[in-house]
Amino acid sequence: MPGVIAFLCRCCGEIEPTVDLPALRERIGREEGVAAVELRDTLCLPEDRAAILKAFEESGADRILLAACSPYGKVGNVVAKLSAACGNDRSRVRLIDIREGCAWIHRGDPAGATAKACDLMRMGLGFMRHGKQSADAVVSVRPECLVVGAGSAGLAAAGSIARAGYPVHLVERGAAGGGMVKLLSHVYPTDAGAEERLAPYLEAIAENPLITFHGKTRVAAATGYAGDFKIRLASEKGEKNLRVGTVILATGAGVWLPRGLYRYGELKEILTLMELERRQREGKAAAKRTVFIQCVGARCPERPYCATICCPSSIKNAVLLRKADPDAEVTILHRDIMTPGHILERYYRSALEAGVRFIRFAEAQPPVVLGEGRVGRVEVFDAISGLTREIEADQVILSTPLVANADNAKLAELFHLPLDGYGFFREDYPLHPLETRQAGVFICGSARWPVASGEAVTQGEGAAMKALSILGRKEISALSMSRLPEGKLGHARIEDGSCSGCGNCVAVCPYGACALQPVGGVFVSRANKMRCRACGSCTSVCPNGTVQMPEHNARAVGAMIRRAFAEGDAR
Amino acid sequence: MNSQMTDKTPSPRVLVFACRWCALVGADAAGRGKAELPASFRLIPVECASMVEPDSVLRAFASGADGVAVMGCHLGGCRFNDANHVAVKRMEALGDLLDTVGIGRRRLLLSFGTAHEGRQFAEVLEAFFRELAPLSSLAAWQKPLLNQPSFR
Repeated sequence: MPGVIAFLCRCCGEIEPTVDLPALRERIGREEGVAAVELRDTLCLPEDRAAILKAFEESGADRILLAACSPYGKVGNVVAKLSAACGNDRSRVRLIDIREGCAWIHRGDPAGATAKACDLMRMGLGFMRHGKQSADAVVSVRPECLVVGAGSAGLAAAGSIARAGYPVHLVERGAAGGGMVKLLSHVYPTDAGAEERLAPYLEAIAENPLITFHGKTRVAAATGYAGDFKIRLASEKGEKNLRVGTVILATGAGVWLPRGLYRYGELKEILTLMELERRQREGKAAAKRTVFIQCVGARCPERPYCATICCPSSIKNAVLLRKADPDAEVTILHRDIMTPGHILERYYRSALEAGVRFIRFAEAQPPVVLGEGRVGRVEVFDAISGLTREIEADQVILSTPLVANADNAKLAELFHLPLDGYGFFREDYPLHPLETRQAGVFICGSARWPVASGEAVTQGEGAAMKALSILGRKEISALSMSRLPEGKLGHARIEDGSCSGCGNCVAVCPYGACALQPVGGVFVSRANKMRCRACGSCTSVCPNGTVQMPEHNARAVGAMIRRAFAEGDAR
Repeated sequence: MNSQMTDKTPSPRVLVFACRWCALVGADAAGRGKAELPASFRLIPVECASMVEPDSVLRAFASGADGVAVMGCHLGGCRFNDANHVAVKRMEALGDLLDTVGIGRRRLLLSFGTAHEGRQFAEVLEAFFRELAPLSSLAAWQKPLLNQPSFR
């Protein structure tokens, strides 16, 4: 019966003084199933690989056990290359860390370190007896994309995908596209008219035959996986079923009304920024004296975040008011002006040049709006000069933050996505800003965080590129559905016959990969290989061991645990 | 710290289940930083703390461990869509079981987000060894269990 060949690494003397390698070699050589044990100075150099393979072939063994440095060390790369020689079976090569995990941390206890190294190697041998590799699954990709939301981000995403030649279904809950930009008069920092800015995007959806626009429609149901999502759309006209390869969520954000703050709703001429935008569009915004109050309901305990768009929006409107009437007095009361980057910083400076007055107040001493029936004055403690100022005002503009779209919760439930504490979609942690935990589902624009329309377009196009990386392929493999360079560990496997249909795995799966399905009159669970990301949650709740990760199955782990303290039995 | 432990009484035996995204990185960094730790712990890398079956923890106690540590990422920082939130609840419930059967939940260390750097990993483990040191060894009742043919 083929066995295991073990290689011990001296690591040029890094391991040896603490771990007694000849003794380790002798003890491991006596273990059942060990064909040979070799001791080498190094294992990580290119010439070592040839020597390892030569010894492996001569020994007649079918598995390789390496005892060297940690998988994060140099020898970590060797494992993948050696598994190629074992029929691309990663379960047949195992690396035991006896340097970082043993020799280097137990220098004061050589006997204990040697016993530990011996136990660790036995654990590895036990594991290899039962460890297996998941079989990959390949699915063909439906070359169509669903974009939810036809604001700046959604329009940009849909346009990019259609230009690349793939059909797009653009779903919008309103009657027409345009999103929040439609509510604006101008768009910062170029101060282009909002309609002018939207025109080319709206034209694209009207003219490109690859884009199907579904107005007044919502996503009612979603199942499936990257490459083949089954979507049900619902509208007044009825339901419609789609099959798409990828999904882009561009639901945008919602506005927030500052009820009860700064006498909003009580006095006339206290407006939110959005209401001012409407007046600007209608040409009714002019006022002799205007005061903006920033951070209304933002950067406070309930919403500790900065919504990023309110400072530049106030600056835009302040300058527009000054340009319309050079005699108008415009004051911005702020806690900090948030205009990052060279473009917005220049934008802020242009407001100073245009004669907009900025006064800083402290969070603890917010301004007070005075007046009866309508706005009269605003009293503010100037945090820089230390003086209390009274500013005459004909209108007061409250800068409120964007808040999450109320529809996000429903979509998050449908696609098994996490939301952050404020209801925005959470990006895939870490460093994958446009991707979500669900492979094939992407987020962009204010659905993930409040952004201005320019940034939303950037993100929409980025998300489109991410989606195209799936749409552009004829088929995708389940083991590639991972952000990791080394791919996914494996995927959960549910044995037929022993599943009792309890549904524990369905309840615990963070990706909605497990689902109960009727088979032969009873419900049993099935794990979807495309959705599974190999966390192993299901394996730890299965009452009868039906769900297993082949790479980390209960027998292999049990074999490790049983051997963990075998050598230390002398106590 | 381990001179007082290794000289007289044998150091407690600890099995560590370490999530490979944080605690395993911490363990690796502790190794590269050459922290001095008792040689009586063994480490099993797992893909996620949620992969650790309660059964494995019990099995570890039955196999000679005086303490078991389950180490995962901080809550809210799980790679797997908050799978570790469920793992925490599961392990807390297991603590109740350990109390009931007389092992005691003190012997089960839950570390979520506290061991992802080398120094932190070493500190968490050392503190656990200090916690276990005054407790009696579980070896007395482990031996007969280990010798049962069904367990072998």
